Amino acid sequence: MAESVKALPNEIQELIEVSEWDMRTRKGVDRFRELKARSLPSVALDGALLYESLIPGQEELIAEIERRFKAKNP
Amino acid sequence: MEQNNELENYVFHTRGVCPPEIHFRLSREGTIHQVRFVGGGCPGNALLVARLVDGKPMNAIIEYLSGIECRNATSCPDQLARAFAAVKKGDLQPTATFKVVEDADPRDRICFIGNLDGNQEVLTTLMHAVKDERVHAIYSVGNLTGLSEQNDNVVSMINKHEIQAIAGQLDWQYAQGNEAVPAAPLSLKHRDILLRLPQVLAFQIGDQKGMAFYGRYIQDLPGYSDFAPFSLEMNMVCDLTRFMKDESVFPALEAMTPQFSVRLVVFSESGDWKHHDVGGVMFLGIGSVYENGFIHWGLLENTAGGLKYQVRKTPFNPE
Repeated sequence: MAESVKALPNEIQELIEVSEWDMRTRKGVDRFRELKARSLPSVALDGALLYESLIPGQEELIAEIERRFKAKNP
Repeated sequence: MEQNNELENYVFHTRGVCPPEIHFRLSREGTIHQVRFVGGGCPGNALLVARLVDGKPMNAIIEYLSGIECRNATSCPDQLARAFAAVKKGDLQPTATFKVVEDADPRDRICFIGNLDGNQEVLTTLMHAVKDERVHAIYSVGNLTGLSEQNDNVVSMINKHEIQAIAGQLDWQYAQGNEAVPAAPLSLKHRDILLRLPQVLAFQIGDQKGMAFYGRYIQDLPGYSDFAPFSLEMNMVCDLTRFMKDESVFPALEAMTPQFSVRLVVFSESGDWKHHDVGGVMFLGIGSVYENGFIHWGLLENTAGGLKYQVRKTPFNPE
């Protein structure tokens, strides 16, 4: 999952701040539970769980990031 | 006072003196803290030495301790000096945060017992009941002690019946002298036994490896690392699944089990009898020994059809 995020184009990377949480750690588990996730892998955007148990395609992920960016920066 | 998490723990195995171990902590700067002579010896003198060296720099103390003779051309203070010298030389390394003991013999029938809460009568009855089970090992994974006047007797019986025990949270607090509530006093000898109990027991049944631990207090020990052996298993049970109570996260647990080092994980803090098979790992929650008029224990067997687990019980009416 982290690799698919890292593979995003530079112009998209500049719109986001990425945090990767390691599920082996207590902090990672705490974050997992904060997001009310149930399975892995999980992706959240702006603190909201968006994808679970699947890795979104690049196009879909880019579209979602751009949509949210535009909503916050009209 | 320095924070506990800046201190490193050491255990020195002595030679020629009564206490088999000396436990102590050192700051990064080499200041001595919490020296304890464990497992025997003169408690008064041992406490005096501990008190005198506490907070002192290790390098300055060695000369005062070294060369004092009691028996076998050494003494407790001299052994402490040798421990410090070993640290200086690099021959004595800090211990892991939590202690792991391995039962090296593969077993085919294991009895698990949970919280005894310092109840001698319950333990006696349990041992009679388990005798007929012809088990190969008895593992105690709950608190041996409790708010009881019989704690000393229970700790004695653990040794007598060759029960392999791990330290429950209350046992740990007793060992540290940090009982959270007023409790019946425990002899120094038995406190030392509790102090030397491991936090994790690694075992094998048939060809399956397992681990047993009490619960969350281990994660709160200074220096606990998420990447130490068995930490992953403990983090998943304690934090992810809340002692297997939150089944909604079992899909995530299943994704993590391939990284486990064992195929059985046994715990007891929650006090509930639980059995879940997730991602090829058997999770067993061990409940309290005495509940609702019955004495309970878990029986794990290696059979031709694989591992079989059942909770057994027998009626018990306290006098």
